[in-house]
Amino acid sequence: MSTSVEIVTLENLRAVSRGRARAYGITTAIFGILEIVWMGQTHPGLNTTIEFGANSSTSMPELSGAWRVIVLAAALLLAGISAIATTQGRRFALPRSGTLAVRIIAIALALWPISLWLHVNVDGILRSWTVPVHVVGLVIGVLSLLAGGYLAWKRYDRGASATLYAALIAFLLTFLVWVARGSDVSGLHLQLTSLLALSVSAATCLMFGSLSGTICERSGVVNIAIEGQFMVGAMSAVMFASAFNGAGISKTFAVLLGGVFGALMGSLLAVMALRYKADQVIVGVVIVAFCSAITQFLSSQVLNFHQNLNQSEPLPVWAVPGLSKIPVLGPVLFDQNVLVFVAVLMVVAVNILLYRTRWGLRVRSVGEKPIASETVGVSVSRMRYGAVILGGFIAGIGGAAFTVGPGSSFSYGMTNGYGYIALAIMIFGRWRPYGALAASLLFGFTIAMSANLNIYLSQLVIPQQFISALPYIITIAAVAGLVGRIRPPAADGIPFSRE
Amino acid sequence: MRLELRGITKSFGSLVANHNVSLTVEPGEIHCLLGENGAGKSTLMNVLYGMLTPDSGEILIDGEPVTIRDPKDAVARGIGMVHQHFMLIPVFSVTENVILGDEPVRPWPFVDYRKAVTMITELSQRYNFDVDPHATIENLPIGTQQRVEILKALSHHADLLVLDEPTAVLTPQEADALIMILRSLKEMGKSIIFITHKLREVLEIADVITVLRLGEVVGSTTPAETNEEDLATMMVGRSVNLVVDKKPAAPGDVVLEVRDLLVEEDRGLTAVKSVSFDVHAGEILAIAGVQGNGQTELVEALTGLRGVTSGSVILKGYDGNLAGAAVRDILHAGIGHVPEDRQRHGLVLSLPVEDNLVLDQLSDPRYHGRFGRKLRAIRENARTQITDFDIRTQGPELEAGSLSGGNQQKVVIARELSRELRVLICSQPTRGLDVGSIEYMHRQIVANRDANVAVIIVSSELDEVLALGDRIAVMYDGKIQGIVPPTTSREDIGLMMAGAGNAATSEEQA
Ligand SMILES: Nc1ncnc2c1ncn2[C@@H]1O[C@H](COP(=O)(O)OP(=O)(O)OP(=O)(O)O)[C@@H](O)[C@H]1O
Ligand SMILES: [Mg+2]
Repeated sequence: MSTSVEIVTLENLRAVSRGRARAYGITTAIFGILEIVWMGQTHPGLNTTIEFGANSSTSMPELSGAWRVIVLAAALLLAGISAIATTQGRRFALPRSGTLAVRIIAIALALWPISLWLHVNVDGILRSWTVPVHVVGLVIGVLSLLAGGYLAWKRYDRGASATLYAALIAFLLTFLVWVARGSDVSGLHLQLTSLLALSVSAATCLMFGSLSGTICERSGVVNIAIEGQFMVGAMSAVMFASAFNGAGISKTFAVLLGGVFGALMGSLLAVMALRYKADQVIVGVVIVAFCSAITQFLSSQVLNFHQNLNQSEPLPVWAVPGLSKIPVLGPVLFDQNVLVFVAVLMVVAVNILLYRTRWGLRVRSVGEKPIASETVGVSVSRMRYGAVILGGFIAGIGGAAFTVGPGSSFSYGMTNGYGYIALAIMIFGRWRPYGALAASLLFGFTIAMSANLNIYLSQLVIPQQFISALPYIITIAAVAGLVGRIRPPAADGIPFSRE
Repeated sequence: MRLELRGITKSFGSLVANHNVSLTVEPGEIHCLLGENGAGKSTLMNVLYGMLTPDSGEILIDGEPVTIRDPKDAVARGIGMVHQHFMLIPVFSVTENVILGDEPVRPWPFVDYRKAVTMITELSQRYNFDVDPHATIENLPIGTQQRVEILKALSHHADLLVLDEPTAVLTPQEADALIMILRSLKEMGKSIIFITHKLREVLEIADVITVLRLGEVVGSTTPAETNEEDLATMMVGRSVNLVVDKKPAAPGDVVLEVRDLLVEEDRGLTAVKSVSFDVHAGEILAIAGVQGNGQTELVEALTGLRGVTSGSVILKGYDGNLAGAAVRDILHAGIGHVPEDRQRHGLVLSLPVEDNLVLDQLSDPRYHGRFGRKLRAIRENARTQITDFDIRTQGPELEAGSLSGGNQQKVVIARELSRELRVLICSQPTRGLDVGSIEYMHRQIVANRDANVAVIIVSSELDEVLALGDRIAVMYDGKIQGIVPPTTSREDIGLMMAGAGNAATSEEQA
């Protein structure tokens, strides 16, 4: 019997996923208990509050009572239609590829009047509405406890991860407050809106990076070089943008140029890994070293002396009309740097590409069992070249999101290991684009939090280094808890040869 | 399509797998290719399909010389192939597997899944295949996977269809259905190359039979001019005893006692429904039944590969319940297992043959000493096994994956029989073996029985069940319909396999 090597059978997996649901439930419940305990300990005199306010000052015209009713009715109607359209799409025999677009339009249509109505009626209240943190903490704690207990009891596999993620975010939030508990800061405000907005923008590079990893690994090639692709993308984009001095169109080109340089590094990886069948991880590491050296050289030898080549203004912020007016969520999701929208659209596009198109089907097949693809006439190396170069392109754009996006100048080391975190996110997101999106947001949140905590550093009871290390610690915890439980593409990282 | 192979030679290192092989297939002809395990049948077909590049030789299609560089060329020339080891992607659905490489797109570049599903439903109805286009391959039993492979080849509208041992994993009924399909394809003017080790099928369907031995064509004949014995002799080069001779069993005490075993399959439905039976030392209990009636789950439960919902498995001399025990304990208790799917559960394809031969004994003091593995002993063991079991390999250090299908099976069996056993459980022990090797395996199994091992055989081959079994348990719908002596008629057993109860003749019933 060859049991010593029989590792992943279907029945194992199934047992594992049930076990995971229980473990997730228990973890969620523990988070809940911790939160309740912490909040019980919160100094009663401490007026830590969560503030929902946004700093936007645009105000809407007041509407008369009749209009309010009409707007509300329209909103509810559209919301109803969209709910039917999204849940009953199949019954209406909407074309499969069209469903997504229909849903998006329906949701947008529904949200627009609702946001209008909310803005008119509650934004004013919300903006000045502050809640004592321990109330929120207790509520969240109890909710986590209930949800976790229920999950552990019923062992639902579906929704288990979502529950855990939600609990984790709540946990981090309460942790933040708890940390500040012993400090003398009076009137510590958590500006929820700005915290979330920062999370989203911090998640942008990670979205590009993890998408890149997802595409490459789906085709069976491990792309460790994302970090390097970030670096060259960041540097080439900022140099191009400042050389042409920030005219609108030149910025678009700057971003694309970042992508092209990323793709170039991708091709290098592809040639080494596919043509010469070198070990993909080693090639990837070497490419990072190469990119790191070349960007360091250029920044010390060129950018240092030509500062004018290393300055760009931020990309325009684009506020979606209407939707950006939703209280709290509006500024977070719909009032952002253009690249944020590009990243989200990219997630949607890659998902469609992988799961709806011919190319995607073939790429996935090549990552699972290349010999089978070869027998039906699909060229393994062609698919892999395509995927790795596209992956490099996306990672390069992610690099541009470090510099041209927020308008920072390039400095060596600014990528900060995010290229590796992106790989962890890819695993966390189970090699799926939407998973990568969700996981990126979670990591973005931890990054935003550690940045936020740094503001109060002087009063904090725990060392600064710990706070800065938080995103990385979460990475390790997340991946350690998941690896081996989820199934990577079967041929991931294995060179293919027919004979 | 008229296909001609001229003087094909292909070697792997020093091994000549095909030597100057020539073969002609006329349009509308069913051409059977026979040969021992490792004779080079698959190699020849892989050359034809562009998976391997021949060292020399020519391929002519309709009289024109063609070069087939890769499978894509082969597909473009109208050649379809069902490979010996499935070329299916386990995590994909049936639909995705069938359309891969030739996807309906509308509008470009979106795959038109709706059209694909319709196409597959139509195709499977036309050929009377019962497959769900939405099912995921890895959840399907191996026989259904085979049907998907055949559907895939049919959907490409090939003019020449190569089938490499398609019936090895099919039930007799499924095999008959496939033979009907091949006949109708032949009437449509398609040429077919059919590889099998089942001589009865060959005689039933072939127009022309070509026999390969050690990489060379040893002869060509037609069913009218030959019979099973002659074919066997031609293949192996000596006369083969096609019936098992064995003395009557001398059963000893009960060794394995299975009581009220309840086992779930992957989807959580009960697959083994309260099964009880005993196996005595020195007897062969054959479990017959149409595939998918719980045999797989029963064996997996007995060997620790699958959890048990309730019930007990008591091995004499072992303290406690073996049901749900760790695989290591089950192995140490003296249970050997030849699994149904050799590539998935039986071998590590990327490890050398010699390591595969000691996989379950890695920490045995014979092969593992204080300073690590005893490489010389492992090599020595491999040499002996390779000679004893006639495993055709260039050497013990070669990857197991490079062996021919039948020789991979021999490695698994050799390993399992190389240990002191109390119970031997074999699932489809002779799947994919040639007649000569089957003869040898059967003799080994009987020898083990005579050495007082309790043997359980699971087979969908009624012939094998009748030939080997001292008692025959028929499984239907997760239950044992009855346990009957091997003198029972084929018809009666067939009826029991179809679900008709047979309490009158059964010796024991839970
Ligand atoms: N990739 C390879 N590398 C080395 N040797 C190989 C390779 N493929 C096949 N062989 C050897 O070539 C010989 C012929 O193998 P082949 O698979 O063609 O046999 P076969 O006739 O199909 O046998 P079976 O009935 O067991 O499937 C075998 O000895 C096998 O070990
Ligand atoms: Mg073969």
